[in-house]
Amino acid sequence: MTIYAALGALEQGLVYGIMVIGVYLTFRILDFPDLTVDGSLPLGASISAVAITSGMNPYLSLIFALLGGFIAGTVTAILNTKFKILHLLASILTMIALYSINIRIMGGPNIALLGADTVFDPIIALGVAPHLASVLVFALFAVLVMASVIWFLKTEFGQAVLATGDNPQMIISQGVNTHLIIIVGVGLSNGLVALSGALVAQNQGAADVGMGIGTIIAGLASVIVGETVFGSNSIARAIIAAVLGSVVYRLAIALALGLEFGGFAFSPSDLNLITALLVITALITPKIKARLIAR
Amino acid sequence: MIVLDRCTKYFHRGSVNEVLALNDLSLEIKDGDFITVIGSNGAGKSTLLNALAGSFILDNGSIAIHDQNVTNWPEYRRAKLIARVFQDPLLGTCPSATIEQNMALALRRGKTRGLGNWIKAGERERFREDLSTIGLGLEDRLQDSVGLLSGGQRQALTMLMATLVRPEVLLLDEHIAALDPKTAGQILMLTREIVSEQSLTTLMITHNMKHAIEFGNRLIMLHQGRIILDVDGDAKTTLTVDDLLQQFYRVQGEELANDSMLLT
Amino acid sequence: MKKLLMILCAATVMLATSALAGPSVISVNQFVEHPALDAVLKGIQDYLKDNSVDAEFKVHNAQANMGTATQIGQQMIGEKSDLLIAIATPSAQATAQALSKAPADMKRPFLFTAVTDPVAAGLVEAFDKPSEYITGVSDLLPVEKHLEMITTYKPGIKKLAILYNAGEANSKAVVATVKELSSTFGFEVVEATAPKTADVYAAAKSLVGRCDAVFIPTDNTIVAALESVIKVGTQNKLPIFCADVDSVARGAVAAMGFDYYKHGYQTGAMVQKILGGTSPKSLPVEFQEELQLHINLKSAAAMGAPAPEALLKTASKIYE
Repeated sequence: MTIYAALGALEQGLVYGIMVIGVYLTFRILDFPDLTVDGSLPLGASISAVAITSGMNPYLSLIFALLGGFIAGTVTAILNTKFKILHLLASILTMIALYSINIRIMGGPNIALLGADTVFDPIIALGVAPHLASVLVFALFAVLVMASVIWFLKTEFGQAVLATGDNPQMIISQGVNTHLIIIVGVGLSNGLVALSGALVAQNQGAADVGMGIGTIIAGLASVIVGETVFGSNSIARAIIAAVLGSVVYRLAIALALGLEFGGFAFSPSDLNLITALLVITALITPKIKARLIAR
Repeated sequence: MIVLDRCTKYFHRGSVNEVLALNDLSLEIKDGDFITVIGSNGAGKSTLLNALAGSFILDNGSIAIHDQNVTNWPEYRRAKLIARVFQDPLLGTCPSATIEQNMALALRRGKTRGLGNWIKAGERERFREDLSTIGLGLEDRLQDSVGLLSGGQRQALTMLMATLVRPEVLLLDEHIAALDPKTAGQILMLTREIVSEQSLTTLMITHNMKHAIEFGNRLIMLHQGRIILDVDGDAKTTLTVDDLLQQFYRVQGEELANDSMLLT
Repeated sequence: MKKLLMILCAATVMLATSALAGPSVISVNQFVEHPALDAVLKGIQDYLKDNSVDAEFKVHNAQANMGTATQIGQQMIGEKSDLLIAIATPSAQATAQALSKAPADMKRPFLFTAVTDPVAAGLVEAFDKPSEYITGVSDLLPVEKHLEMITTYKPGIKKLAILYNAGEANSKAVVATVKELSSTFGFEVVEATAPKTADVYAAAKSLVGRCDAVFIPTDNTIVAALESVIKVGTQNKLPIFCADVDSVARGAVAAMGFDYYKHGYQTGAMVQKILGGTSPKSLPVEFQEELQLHINLKSAAAMGAPAPEALLKTASKIYE
């Protein structure tokens, strides 16, 4: 793998790492499988792209993207808590609706951001090369999000979020409105995913309605790789492992895409298969390790 | 005082499995009452406690706690007045959290949880003190994950957590039934201590007739969703197991064919 | 004698290294496979062959997926080939973005081709102002000529529908121009959009009863799924007109368009110049001049649009 490809994987790993933290929040902490993310990632991208092409400051557009994702998450959670729709189904419904909503927001299936203002401009203005500027900006955002989420989970409210996913009956008996917790939690998760989408769009020069397809898969793969490789004993460790897992995942993908066995080479459309194999490997490895130790 | 007035609850209403769990049940619980609740399976004992706690909404009737009508309050809202210990010893604590985190959660029962730090100055010390009173050595294991504890230890912890914030009523739903005899005895002693020290109003469901007689100042027996026996004071202290069985026959006039009642 | 030996040595070394240098490597980002774009690629390859330029092609297909096109753009930068080519606007935009973010030592000359409006797409500042790394060949339609053909074919047409993907910058530009010219030609414009190839059939069906004929610009998504549009046209006697002649062979009634093979051939000439060392900066964006009229009589009959004599006479190719 070339340095360029490795740097690209690091860049992708960091920006999608923010999405992975969101997936970790719902999938692991709240025990709420949430497919909304396939729709909230492009939602964040659309909102940011429309805002930027209408003249808004790129950093400000991120806040609106985050808000949009938050709202999408609350819709899924309300469908589940108040209307008793199965969480998986509720999230699929929101995800499907977001496809049309995103096209409406953009006035079409995509918006090009070639040459538009982006969050990287201030860094590039300082003289940093473009391909390094994105890594720097994403690293900063990733650290900011990690620190914020770790702080949040150590507050009274955050502990209630952890308890809701761990033992809902217990925390209800302690006076916590678990419906509210789930609504805020799923909202926050999708807010982070939308933020990630906005940053991705500014980096790749376009927001496209289809760019979210496979987000949940990539998120889960990254969570699982992170847990397997870095462990998840404490909350802080788990959150950091989510981002590191995302980086490892993207590195593995880049490695696979660069492989060539005598004429055969993976093409980008093979990504889904590579991801599935990666997750299976990550899930099986601990079991094989245990069996080998037992012998 | 806690008043249940003409409470009715159906389960699976309108289907083949329809069951009348509470049948026009009324009960006045005075402050400081320690009521033991007995009855055959399906009599409505757990349903009674669940109705009080708010796990479901009644079909008919009302519940008032100290003149506050809580009939339509959801479970989490009633939690500031009610503490519960469940039959499943694993249900009262969070396995992924540490002992001190669990206690911090319980200390905030009924309060709004904001963005302040999960534990405040002095709380850790307080937890250590409280834990040392139950004598299980847990005060030295504050940072241990609760999932590592045994069922008995978790139930003891749940009992302690239930009273960190004084409840208006303590609901114990066969809370020692799933423990081995030795641990069950320890938890029962702990129960007696905590309830008498803090003069807690308590409802305790038990299948053990001896415990039902020995503990508490009042005993009620449920059958098919209704209270068929309500004894307190001297009448209770002089009860025997045989008396209870005979009372049952007298009120219902039918053979009691319940093994678990006879064998305890 | 010594000098001669030295010259001979130098010459041998030079010959050896140029032989070792091998063929030029060209990375291609093709947006989707359809006959027109495939013809472009073939045209480029044939031109280079005919002119003895030794080139090895690494062709990547984005399968009409923007995300894949983006990935390919980044992958191509990593390939460090001698020249980058993108076929069709979405692939060109993705490659341009990847190029702008590449470190200086990995930047390479980039040629776009089969791109309708490179200025609107953000690839170059102006047609005569290509950048240091980017230039190419545009298939900009003289929209007027197309509309002239359609109104001659179907005089008195009241409602002309345009079927396109609103996500393709090339199509958006053409639609805007058609709308501007619609009053001059005396018809009303009806629109239907399809964001991906799977949605083309439904979009085509939505036009039945709402228009007198359908015009498809050089839209990669619609053209990739052309067969489904032809089906709607034949089943409902709705004439389908295209802007590229390869579509007529596939069943459109008629098209006033470019021969995309020739488009590729023209691009090949630019490729040769750049491989030879010319900087893209000195090569303004080229256009294709010759328009051809192709007519498909079988489709004309099936879609209830018999071809007028005048047009039959000027047609370059007639399918029976």
